[in-house]
Amino acid sequence: MTRLDQFASVFRSAAKDRFRRRDIAVRDVLVASDLDDETAAAYATRVAAFLADTPGADARTIRHSPRARTEDLGALIEQVADADPDLVVTYRNLHSEAWRWPYTLGDHVEVLTQVTEVPILLLPRFDAGEAPPGGFVPPRTVMAMTDHLAGDDQIVNWAVAMAGRGPGRRVVLAHVEDDLVFERYMSIVGKTPDIETGTARREIRRILLQEPTDWIATVAAALDDVPVEVVPDVSFGHQLATYKRLVEAHDVDLLVLHTKDEDQLAMHGAAYPVAVELRRTPMLLL
Amino acid sequence: MAAVTHHDVALSTTLIFGAVLVGLILCLALEEKLHAKKSLIAGVFAVISLLLGGAFGLLPFGPIITPFGESIAMPVYIPAVDWGVIAIIVGSSLFVDVTSRSGLFTWIAVKLTKSSGGDLRKLLINYGLMTVTFSAVLNNVTAMIIVGSLTAVSLDRLGRRDKLLAFLLAEGLLTNVGGLLTLISSVPNIIVGTTAGISFGKFLWVSAPYVAVATAATLALAARWFGIHGLKDDEREAAAAAVAAFDENDGIPSRGFFRFGAVMTALFILTIAGTSVLPVVSELGMGFVALAFAAVMLVRFRSEVDTFYRAIDWDLIGFFVALFVVINVAEHARVLAVLGEGLFWLVGFGDVVGTAALLVASAAFSSVTDNIPLAAMLAKILGGAGTDPTSPLWWAVVFGANLGGNITPIGSASTLVAVTVIHQQGIELGFTRFVRVAAPFAVLQLVLAVGYVLLFLS
Repeated sequence: MTRLDQFASVFRSAAKDRFRRRDIAVRDVLVASDLDDETAAAYATRVAAFLADTPGADARTIRHSPRARTEDLGALIEQVADADPDLVVTYRNLHSEAWRWPYTLGDHVEVLTQVTEVPILLLPRFDAGEAPPGGFVPPRTVMAMTDHLAGDDQIVNWAVAMAGRGPGRRVVLAHVEDDLVFERYMSIVGKTPDIETGTARREIRRILLQEPTDWIATVAAALDDVPVEVVPDVSFGHQLATYKRLVEAHDVDLLVLHTKDEDQLAMHGAAYPVAVELRRTPMLLL
Repeated sequence: MAAVTHHDVALSTTLIFGAVLVGLILCLALEEKLHAKKSLIAGVFAVISLLLGGAFGLLPFGPIITPFGESIAMPVYIPAVDWGVIAIIVGSSLFVDVTSRSGLFTWIAVKLTKSSGGDLRKLLINYGLMTVTFSAVLNNVTAMIIVGSLTAVSLDRLGRRDKLLAFLLAEGLLTNVGGLLTLISSVPNIIVGTTAGISFGKFLWVSAPYVAVATAATLALAARWFGIHGLKDDEREAAAAAVAAFDENDGIPSRGFFRFGAVMTALFILTIAGTSVLPVVSELGMGFVALAFAAVMLVRFRSEVDTFYRAIDWDLIGFFVALFVVINVAEHARVLAVLGEGLFWLVGFGDVVGTAALLVASAAFSSVTDNIPLAAMLAKILGGAGTDPTSPLWWAVVFGANLGGNITPIGSASTLVAVTVIHQQGIELGFTRFVRVAAPFAVLQLVLAVGYVLLFLS
């Protein structure tokens, strides 16, 4: 039945996922901060500047959740559920001094990303010197990062929305296959007499890179009428190190990533270390 | 092969060798129970036959004299094998295997899938026609492998796994209908056709009308029996999107090789069809054509031809070689002559009843054991009796041997592949259920075949 498997593989490979475009508008924004009312109003203006080019800006409402209402995590979660905004904007280590030691995201952000379906825009802190002193400007280069890009419409639709409209806008679709995992499996393949090691290594590597590459081609085709350049970046590597390198190499203004994992309560895969370490890069956590 | 019996043989000796032949057929029927490959089963019986044949003084030991009068020393079992048939099978297997690497067959398959727009009824028709065509041009096992694997993937994508059994069963049953279309579509065709001296063109001309009618009838019955309907208006868009996601170019490694494969496939079919009239080639035969085309295609993979040699079904080849040896020895022991008397007793019921009886008996026999020994044996008997190439008896054997495979899941290699795909998809289909579900189709095809042979070929 070897030939049966061969043809089945060919047809499974030919059945490709295609990107399905969905237009996203960000009309209702909730800013959750630990600032007093006066400072919070100024912060909301900076948030508005960051989101100025995103769809829905003409009819946008930016609400500020005051310090008193965000201090209690339960109350914040309840407020987000009741308001059901299109986007929650916040920053790391809310109501905490832990921002001085850049090793966590803080209780509020970590819990909020897991309990709500609303995307969370995580902006750099001004008081930590992470944000640009002149304030935020609309992102021109947005990078979507994942290790399972093919078929992930949501992350791309959000990346496109956040890139907004305007000249020189780019959406970098980054897919990084974890080479440590790959080498682990290849070491097992190398110990399996029935599998030809050289062919397995070559073909599995090729297909792992081909699938996201093909899918990105469908994204580019679907966004043909949108003035955004789609830039593919598909590679093998150590995930955290590679994402950090890509953010720098592409001069990324906003990183879009998944934080939820159906199999666990904790934040998804490489999302946590990336979100903790890249503190100067705004992030959209889905 | 060597000429028919050269010496007197005692009835007891004939019975002993008849028992060997029956033993071989029984063991082949019980292949699954014995957990033994058919090449080994036939090989053991070939060894027994040769030892007994030598002991009884039946074998024509001695040198072989060529048409130029040269004397060649050759083991007695070498000329017992019909090497022309072996050459066709090896050559066409290699050719199809290498050509499939060009992505040609998968390209056709995906194109047909997309042209259906995801409509199940159109998909059934497209896959049915593709099964018949691939069975005719390639061989029925390869056809079932290609169409069966695609069916599983595409119905999964359409979210219609509930119709998987219907599709795979219809396709399995159509492989044996398509296998009737040309002289090289199935091994019984090759054996009977070459023995009777039927050309490729003549074979196609005679079988095509039946194949067309039987295909249409099978598809119509499958659509009705399994409730396969067209799409409703609100289902069209999603179904079309599901099949549009297939990329027909995905399996094409090189455009140049793809075009070369397409041209060579067309040339292969044309050359095989014209073998009997082409100068020089007609003398070299279809086996030469198949091997020559395989060699040309292999040039593309010159540094890795060994992978294709490994992919050849050596069990099948070994089986043929051993089978020819067993039948040759049985022939020297007058077993075929005795069987021939029985066969002509059956045929003696008259042109209508005799021919129909031969067709149905061939089908019944083929349904429980391999149709190749049957075809080889009956071809030898009919050929030995000097049966005219235009006789409907040849066609009764061809139709019966091919269509009998549709009665049970073990009746042919392609239905076995269909059942394997069905099992791989987690669908239960035992022997009894297969027979029950396939019975209306098998009966329909056999009735049509009997009617066709009697009305148009007698």
